[in-house]
Amino acid sequence: MGLLSIIRKIKKKEKEMRILMVGLDNSGKTTIVLKINGEDTSVISPTLGFNIKTIVYQKYTLNIWDVGGQKTIRSYWRNYFEQTDGLVWVVDSSDLRRLDDCKMELDNLLKEERLAGSSLLILANKQDIQGALTPDEIGKVLNLESMDKSRHWKIVGCSAYTGEGLLEGFDWLVQDIASRIYMLD
Amino acid sequence: MEDDDPSFATETLDPALQKKHHDMLERLSARHQARKSDSPDTSSSSSTLESTSSFLAKFSDARRSIESRIAESRFVSSSSASSSTDPSKHKSDLADISVAINDLEKLLAENSYFLPSYEVRSSLKMVSDLKQSLESLSAELIPKKKFSFKSKSTNKKPEPKLPEIQKPDVVSPPNFLVPVRDSPGLRNKHGETLVKSFKGSSIGEFTLSDLDSCQVQLTGTVNALFLHRLKNCNVYTGPVIGSILIDDVEDCVLVLASHQIRIHCARKSDFYLRVRSRPIIEDSNGVRFAPYCLDYKGIEEDLKTAGLDEETNNWANVDDFRWLRAVQSPNWSVLPGEERVSSVSISSNADS
Repeated sequence: MGLLSIIRKIKKKEKEMRILMVGLDNSGKTTIVLKINGEDTSVISPTLGFNIKTIVYQKYTLNIWDVGGQKTIRSYWRNYFEQTDGLVWVVDSSDLRRLDDCKMELDNLLKEERLAGSSLLILANKQDIQGALTPDEIGKVLNLESMDKSRHWKIVGCSAYTGEGLLEGFDWLVQDIASRIYMLD
Repeated sequence: MEDDDPSFATETLDPALQKKHHDMLERLSARHQARKSDSPDTSSSSSTLESTSSFLAKFSDARRSIESRIAESRFVSSSSASSSTDPSKHKSDLADISVAINDLEKLLAENSYFLPSYEVRSSLKMVSDLKQSLESLSAELIPKKKFSFKSKSTNKKPEPKLPEIQKPDVVSPPNFLVPVRDSPGLRNKHGETLVKSFKGSSIGEFTLSDLDSCQVQLTGTVNALFLHRLKNCNVYTGPVIGSILIDDVEDCVLVLASHQIRIHCARKSDFYLRVRSRPIIEDSNGVRFAPYCLDYKGIEEDLKTAGLDEETNNWANVDDFRWLRAVQSPNWSVLPGEERVSSVSISSNADS
């Protein structure tokens, strides 16, 4: 029995997925996590460090690691890369000025070997705000089409404020991870 | 395998093997000779000298020869009438010199791993000086018209191999494939009073950027507010429903209310805040905090819309991302009561 099949078996028993949420500060990572968990999103402080949420989603248990995006603490993101099944990159679609930063940080992240096998969900957040870029526009700015062909990825527009688009994004992510790890049982 | 061992070969009687052995010895001695004759003056391009002094000697020889060639070309061109000189001759001369400089640079690169850093630096400086003088030489020799194009496209492009056909390949590639539009906002103003009401507008996000010595009054609610590069400004805003992102402000007074407030790179500024969550600062210093103090007609309603109708006292719960310790950060403080401005009243209906 190979190591991979052992890991598969263990994972199968637990049906756990490890999801890493990253993105620039002010993109809405914590708000998204609380919103899908049905919690109050009206009082959220900028994340100093990280939050972990365990959410039962369909028949899976998601361990969501929501890591702060302030510049000072971005260098600590790599401490959370290990064993990540799904990567969620959150974009503030209304912050046009920092799209360069956003692209640069994402490009750096995708170079990371430890994240090479993880599915990538890009959430173009804040679609409720008048003047925000559409998911298509964000996809072009981030040049997603040029991504490594082996990467499973999808971009979804959403609003953590209204909740719109969040389920669509996470449904895809969970299905994609499940089909890779649990071989569509 | 046995060919590697000469003693083994002599013991065998097989003539074919002996012949082979003999050939091999000849090859070896030939190679040895070649190596010996090679070693004192190594070929210029691919050699590592492993000794600082021999490198420096070789380097300065090559440098002197290039310098004399540049001087020679310059002399030739100045002594002969400019109309009679042959431009193609100049071009080939310049190209030769350029190749020589490149070789010199290559030599330096190949040997840089063992050179002391001072030598590397000074040698690099010499190479770039040579390039400079070659460039100025080519500017003198090659007709002015063509050069002007070059100076426009690149200010200092190394390797001017054929100076007259400088390719404009250094045009920086466009950052974005889609044109990124500007969000609504007030930008690039100096010494003005800027008034804007969001009442009844569909504006979702608003940007204040590159303002100097301005007074800004924003009334009504908006979803997101971005402040970027403000200097010596007073900014009074109605409640923001989502978040305020501040980057690079100096000598400002900002009166703001929002769900979240993030402050980056602020210096010597006072913030009068009402926030539902903890305000944060990063890379800032000399910033002081006090409670929100704005008043305009209809502000109560706007505060209610944004869920900010009650004082939360979060204005003093500042997290400094550059100071992750239990003791008070030196980068911010509470603005002493006697230094605070009293309530600021602005007009709500004026619109620019």
